Amino acid sequence: MNRPGGRAGQDVLRRVGEASVLILISLADVPKHGYALTQDIKELADVELGPGTLYGALDRLERLGLIESLPAESRRHPYRITAAGAAALRVHLDALERVSAAGRLRLRLGGI
Amino acid sequence: MDDFRATRLVETALRCYPVRWRRRHGDEAAELAALLIRDGTPAGSIACSYLAGAAREWLTPRPGRPLSTVACALLAAACALGVSAGLLAPAAPAKAARPTSTSHARGPEHCRSGSPERPGSPERPGSPERPGSPERPGSPERPGSPGPTSVVIPVNNRTRVIIREPAHGRPC
Repeated sequence: MNRPGGRAGQDVLRRVGEASVLILISLADVPKHGYALTQDIKELADVELGPGTLYGALDRLERLGLIESLPAESRRHPYRITAAGAAALRVHLDALERVSAAGRLRLRLGGI
Repeated sequence: MDDFRATRLVETALRCYPVRWRRRHGDEAAELAALLIRDGTPAGSIACSYLAGAAREWLTPRPGRPLSTVACALLAAACALGVSAGLLAPAAPAKAARPTSTSHARGPEHCRSGSPERPGSPERPGSPERPGSPERPGSPERPGSPGPTSVVIPVNNRTRVIIREPAHGRPC
């Protein structure tokens, strides 16, 4: 299926799972380490990420080049979103927005 | 659960991860678990999360890990399931052999000739009561069916006679 924006604008986050998207959103403003990420995501989306899920998603995002780890502070590794990660997040959020707008429009048309 | 036991539980779960992962995230993961336990998250759920993560880590193909390793891990899991199923299986044939209908109930019963359950049934040839009786072609039970066949097999310097019934093909 062709997506707006072509290959460069391809939504690479479509198949990475909700946890990865939430992590990227959480890292969009400032770098955070694991515990800060779980707390922020809990506040932001009311989702409690299990630590196993968190590290799985962090590994995946790092492999995709969407985040990078910064030098360790004591035992903690802070993570930072990369330029590619920010672009991918923007594309994904735009896609979500389009779907969300279409859904709302159809609800209005249906009179529900 | 006290702190020591909770820490031990989480450390055990973390040991399930590949070494590469533990070198990379081990310390941080242990610290994160300690912080979450301090916040009131049950140690059991943290350990479960790490165990699930470890399983995913082993089963996900990585550039540095050949696909055969993943296949071996899957095969080991399948074997473990197979052994478990095999241990449960011996109970199943016993349940299946239990007489539930009249046609199945005849199977085990006809081995006992002259039993009280079947008072009106005709005596069968070859039974201990009439050892020398002739074969019964066209008997009322199974017209045209061959009679029982006996096989003499020497077992440990003793002769064993096995009578086979054509109804189920098993020795009586």
